[in-house]
Amino acid sequence: MIEVSVADQLDYYLTSLDELGEVLIDADQPGSVGKGILRLTLGTVMASKGAIFLYHQKKDKLTILASQGLKERTPFSPPKKLKSQSEKYRHDHINIDKIPPWLTGELKSCINELGSKILVPLFHKDHLLGLLCVGKKFMGESYTGAEIKILEIIANHLTKALYNYKLIQDVEDKQNQLNLKLLELETLFDISVAISSVLDVGELSDEILWRSVGILNASKGMMLIPKENSPILEPNSSFNWDDMDALLSKKLAVFKKVEDEKSGLILTPENKNALQKKLGEDHVIIAPLQTKDNTLGYMLLCNKESRHGVEAFNQTDLDLLTALCNQGAVALDNARLFKDITEAKQFNESILGSIATGVITLDTLGEIDSINQAGQNILKMGMDEIIGNHYMFLFEKDEEILELIQKSEVENTTHSEINMSFLTVSPETVVNVSAAPRIDPDGNIQGLVIAIEDITDVSKIKNTFKRYVSKQVVDELLDDDAKLNLGGEEREVTILFSDIRGFTSMSENMNPENVVATLNEYFSDMIDIVFKHNGTLDKIIGDELMIVYGAPISADNDTQRAVVTAVEMQKQIERLNEQRKKRNEEPIMVGIGINRGIVVSGNIGSRDMMDYTVIGDAVNLGARLCSAAGPGEIYVSPTVWKETKTKFHYEKLNPIKVKGKKEKVGVYRIDWSA
Amino acid sequence: MSDFSLNVREEGDVVIIETAGYLNNVGGEKVSEACYEKMETGKKLFLINLENSKVVNSIGVSILIEIIEKLQDVDGKLGYYNLAPIVEKTFNIMGLTKYSTVYYSEAEGLEGMA
Repeated sequence: MIEVSVADQLDYYLTSLDELGEVLIDADQPGSVGKGILRLTLGTVMASKGAIFLYHQKKDKLTILASQGLKERTPFSPPKKLKSQSEKYRHDHINIDKIPPWLTGELKSCINELGSKILVPLFHKDHLLGLLCVGKKFMGESYTGAEIKILEIIANHLTKALYNYKLIQDVEDKQNQLNLKLLELETLFDISVAISSVLDVGELSDEILWRSVGILNASKGMMLIPKENSPILEPNSSFNWDDMDALLSKKLAVFKKVEDEKSGLILTPENKNALQKKLGEDHVIIAPLQTKDNTLGYMLLCNKESRHGVEAFNQTDLDLLTALCNQGAVALDNARLFKDITEAKQFNESILGSIATGVITLDTLGEIDSINQAGQNILKMGMDEIIGNHYMFLFEKDEEILELIQKSEVENTTHSEINMSFLTVSPETVVNVSAAPRIDPDGNIQGLVIAIEDITDVSKIKNTFKRYVSKQVVDELLDDDAKLNLGGEEREVTILFSDIRGFTSMSENMNPENVVATLNEYFSDMIDIVFKHNGTLDKIIGDELMIVYGAPISADNDTQRAVVTAVEMQKQIERLNEQRKKRNEEPIMVGIGINRGIVVSGNIGSRDMMDYTVIGDAVNLGARLCSAAGPGEIYVSPTVWKETKTKFHYEKLNPIKVKGKKEKVGVYRIDWSA
Repeated sequence: MSDFSLNVREEGDVVIIETAGYLNNVGGEKVSEACYEKMETGKKLFLINLENSKVVNSIGVSILIEIIEKLQDVDGKLGYYNLAPIVEKTFNIMGLTKYSTVYYSEAEGLEGMA
């Protein structure tokens, strides 16, 4: 055997330590450090087999960092007493010529496989970081004290390397955790941005769900929203979940619990509830979409993924999901509110658009900020000319309207005026105007609302009709268009004709002014009586009046009102004649005829000249009866007599022959002085 | 959105993997299997079209990191294109873009890989 000098051996060990330094500096990965150190160690002490084991304190597992002469193994549990027994050999080695009883399990099997003789625990302060295991020396020789010492020095360096590696790994883990936290914060931030930018409920639901699934490493998820007026929960959005056919009710205990406690739940396979059974899932996490007052729905995620399968969700996951759901609930509430407001706005606009009254809103500066279609039609202006214009300019021609608006502005009360001439459009346009303050929900004045009703047509009708009928009839017609049929129809009416007897010869002795004055006085008195009894003044032909009862509006007492009108006319003529006598004027004597029958009523005439009137035989008979009546007499037809005989005194006269009738017609004379 | 699917094709030396669905554990495994199969045939350049994968979780990211590590051993490259903003943000935050490249189109990716 070759004798090795102490000096040579020292030189060899120093060389080994030098190489150890290079291994530690050059290698950037723990695996390569482990391999390098193991190779160096085994070379230094002249062993062929050995291994470095890493101890994971959190997992309580041993893994093989580097080995020579050992089959690959997955991480395994260490002997129960490894840490306590190893502590006794801190800065020392365990001689395992004979395996101690506490060295059990997979580690014992490794030691046997390696034929190990020495085990060096690798301690950094109180932390066991690993084990250096060295097999038997080449040729079965025993390890010398120097070899053991150098082994302990190498082990010490290895411990430092492993500790550094552990520190680096801890930093990397922390970095990874920080990245995940950053991702969580970014996700929360993104959702808060979405609150103000995404207003579509569906799009927002997808966004919140997708981000929640991704950030929580869930395999799938869905957002459940209660169906309106129903306990059924419907998936508003779902992710990676294409076979969702379970009917979910918010009455399920788990949803009730979440709603009542306003907090989420982690469901595990140990106590599977009805929801897990319905979904067929073991790991579920659920959180409410909770606003201040309402539970809008629920976010439900399943199966937290890890690199090695599915694991249970934890409290941190629930806290994160709750934060996401809280953000999401605000976003959804905003989106829904926006949808409601948009719908309400559209509803209001459609109402404003459909009404005939023009509605103009003014802001606090008096500028017009909205106008409906009717308003544009009334003003005969487009939106561009109106919006942004100040009311002072818009209504500059209408002082009365400006005054009305200013009054409302100053007093913060509603003011209105009717039948105003609207010069902004034309002198012929007639409007009703009201101005009222716009008050927001907090009671603050936000401007004014001006309503303009174009009553030009109504005014025309009134002006036209009031020449023919009483104000009451005009109002009644305007209140109920259904009563007004001016297009031509058959109807039963009572017709009254009156005629001044001998007026033509009387007027021959009068100057024209007196003729006009006499007729005006007479007609004024007569028409007052006609309107008093809601008769329709059909015509004034010379000194003749034609009055209709029952058109355009009919009533049950048309005939009775006609007869009363005739009686009052005769009585008024008596009074008129007394006055005329005082003025040395000739008396006026009038004959009146009344008939009732079917006529055709409607607007009759040409395009340029059209009048509402009645025509037919019944009209002609009325006129004939008038002609037949003597001065101061009222003649009525049998139909009139029949309807009114109980209320008036009649005298039956001999039938008379009238033009256009083959047979004579019956005649009754009223004793109107009775 | 459910079920993960992918389509693999080659453009010269570059393998293009088009994914559809959630890039999670399941999706990530499918992508890595496809990459490793092609690596065994000597391919080193990979481009992933993520247009139809709008959601990626951290497990999917860790699988992509494994692919990058394996490619580094053979001097290979991994790139992506058509990323949704949320996916690009995830890749940035998780540090993936330090070791792989985000492109904005297939053409740009092919040019970058060359």
